[in-house]
Amino acid sequence: MKPLSPTSPPKLYSHLYVEKRVLNHPQTRFIMEKFDRSAIVLIDHYKEVFNRPNQSFAAQSDSKKLILAHKDGKFLHEGSQYSDGFEHPQFFYASSIMGCLYDCDYCYLQGLYPSANTVLFVNLEDAFEQLLPYLDKDTLIATSYDTDTLAIESLTRQTLLWLEFAENQKNLHLEIRTKSANFKPLKKMKPNQRVILAWTLSPQKIIDRYEHATPSLAQRLRAIKEAVEAGWNVRVCIDPVIYTDAFETLYPDLIDILFHHIDPSTITHLTLGSFRMSTPHLRALKKLHRSDVAFYPYEVSDDMATYPETIESTILETLVAKARTYLNEERIRTWQRQS
Amino acid sequence: MIYLTCALDAEARPLIEHYRLKRDYTLPYTFYKGDGILLLVTGIGRSNAMLALSALMGYRIPTKDDLLINIGICGAPDTYRLGEALLIHQIMDTDRSYYPDILYPHPLRETGLMCVDTPVSSPCLSPVDMESGGIFQAASRFLKLHQMAFIKIVSDHFEPHKVTKEGAIHLVKSHIHTLESLIASLQKVSSDPSLFTPEEMEKIGEWKTHFTVSQGVKLEEALFYFRLKIPKRPLPFPTDPIPTSKRERSTLLETFIAHLTA
Ligand code: SF4
Repeated sequence: MKPLSPTSPPKLYSHLYVEKRVLNHPQTRFIMEKFDRSAIVLIDHYKEVFNRPNQSFAAQSDSKKLILAHKDGKFLHEGSQYSDGFEHPQFFYASSIMGCLYDCDYCYLQGLYPSANTVLFVNLEDAFEQLLPYLDKDTLIATSYDTDTLAIESLTRQTLLWLEFAENQKNLHLEIRTKSANFKPLKKMKPNQRVILAWTLSPQKIIDRYEHATPSLAQRLRAIKEAVEAGWNVRVCIDPVIYTDAFETLYPDLIDILFHHIDPSTITHLTLGSFRMSTPHLRALKKLHRSDVAFYPYEVSDDMATYPETIESTILETLVAKARTYLNEERIRTWQRQS
Repeated sequence: MIYLTCALDAEARPLIEHYRLKRDYTLPYTFYKGDGILLLVTGIGRSNAMLALSALMGYRIPTKDDLLINIGICGAPDTYRLGEALLIHQIMDTDRSYYPDILYPHPLRETGLMCVDTPVSSPCLSPVDMESGGIFQAASRFLKLHQMAFIKIVSDHFEPHKVTKEGAIHLVKSHIHTLESLIASLQKVSSDPSLFTPEEMEKIGEWKTHFTVSQGVKLEEALFYFRLKIPKRPLPFPTDPIPTSKRERSTLLETFIAHLTA
C-alpha cells in the first residue's frame, strides 16, 4: 500500500483501489503511473469498495475514485429492449467498466449502482475470448453501454483495443456511444466501416442543467466533425430528449445547429428518443432526490416509465419533422413505446 | 453535530480543554458535551469501541449533516514519523476491510490501518490500533461513509511500553489544528441537501394526513419535482381549507399536482 504523500492529490481519481490480483496487469501499471499522485489502496475484491453499504452517490459524484479489478464472469450481455440493435442478428453490450466519469441527472446508473465510483475491469482480453465463438455471424457490440468509454480513453485505451480486435473480425460491428469530445485517441486509427461512433447531443441548456461534467455542445460538434472528416461512420443521437417548457425551441434548434456544423450527408443516422426508464431504476433515482427528471409524472406501462403518450408524440413528431428537412426518412431512427 | 471518539482519557483531555466540553452522565461511559460537539471515550479494544459507539449513536441518532471523527494514537512502522497525523483510508480488521470515503482535499498522509486485538510490539507492515474496526462497524449503520474520518497520530514504532499518558496528551494536543481543518474540509463535502424547510416539511406532513398513502406519495413526488425544477420558488399550497368530502379532496389534490408538475 502506498501512503499518500502530503502533496495535493488529483481531484479526479484521488484514490485508486486496486485488486491485488491485477496489480501487475499492464493496464494497472499504466494507470498507476499516470495517477502517480493518487493514493493506492490494495483490496481483495472490487465489491469491498464498490458495493459498500451507506455510500452517498451525490457526495461521491464530486470526488470519484477508480477501482481496478478483474472480471471473472461474462463481459457480454444481450442488448435490452430499451436500445436499438440495428437489426444485427446478434447484439450484445460489453461491460468492462461500471460507472461513468460523467454525471447525467437522468442516467440510470444512479439507480443501478450503489456507488458513483468507477470500476474498470482490466482483463479486456477475456472479453475478446468470450466473443470469439459468436463471430461466425454478424454481431453488434456496444462497447460503451453502461458508461462512456471514450470519456476515459486516455486512461483505459479500451476503445483502441476494441478497434484493433475488430480490424480482423469481419463479422464484428462496434457501436461506440459517447458524449465525449475526445476524438484524439482515434485519430491514429484507420476508420473501420463496421464501426459506428455514436455521439449523443443535447441543447446546451440541457447539458448545463442535466449533463454534469460533460463536454459542451460545441466541443461535441467539433469532435463529430473531426470524426466524419477522418472517414468514420458517425451516428448522432438526440436521445434522451428531456421535455421542458422550452422544448419547442431548444430541440428543433439543436437539429439546426447540428446540421449547420455537420454536412447531413456525412452522418449515417440520426436517432431520436424521449426519456424513458425502467421503473426499478426510476424508483432508485427518486431516492437520491437529485433532479426534477426523476419526479416527472411519467406514465408507467410494462415496468417502463415514459412521458405521457401525447407528450411523447409531440416530441417525436416535432423532431422527426425537423430532421426530415435535412435527412431522408431511412436515416432517421426513433425510439417508440411498444403499444 | 460532531461526534468525537477516543479510546483513552489521555487522548480526550486536550479535546475537552480545547472545546470546553462538560462531563455528562447520561451514558455509562466517559462522555462529554459542548457546543455542537459530543465526545465519547470508548475504552480500549474493538468490542468496547463498538459497544460504546452503539450507545452514542442510540443516544443521539446522527443526521446527514453530522460527522464522526475517531482521533487517537497508534503504533506504526518507522517509515512514519513519530507525532505524524495519518488519515486512514482502509481499516484492515480481522476478517474484512472497511473503507471510509475521503471525498475532500487534505494535507495529511493517508494510509491503511490494521485493527488488532492486543498491543503490537513486533514490526508490522502498517500502522495499528485496537478500536477502528469496531467504531467503523457501529458507526456505518448510522452514517454515510463520507461522514466518518479516522485520524491516527503515530506514538511509537511498535514499542507500546514507551507510550506515556503525558505523551498521548501531548500528541493529540499538537494536532488540534489538524482536527479543526479536517472538520472544516469534511463539512464542505456536499451531502444530499434538504429540499424542504422544517416548516414546509410540517405543512407537507399535515396535508398528507388528509389523503391515502398512495395519494400522499404522489403529492410528495410532485412537490419534489416543483422544488427541484426551480429551487427557490415557494411551495404554492392552496389557501382554501381542505374539503371534507372524499371526492372533492381528490379533485383538489389532482388539480394541485397538475399545477406543481405543469
Ligand atoms: S454519459 Fe451516459 S453513462 Fe455516463 S452518466 Fe451520462 S447517461 Fe450515464
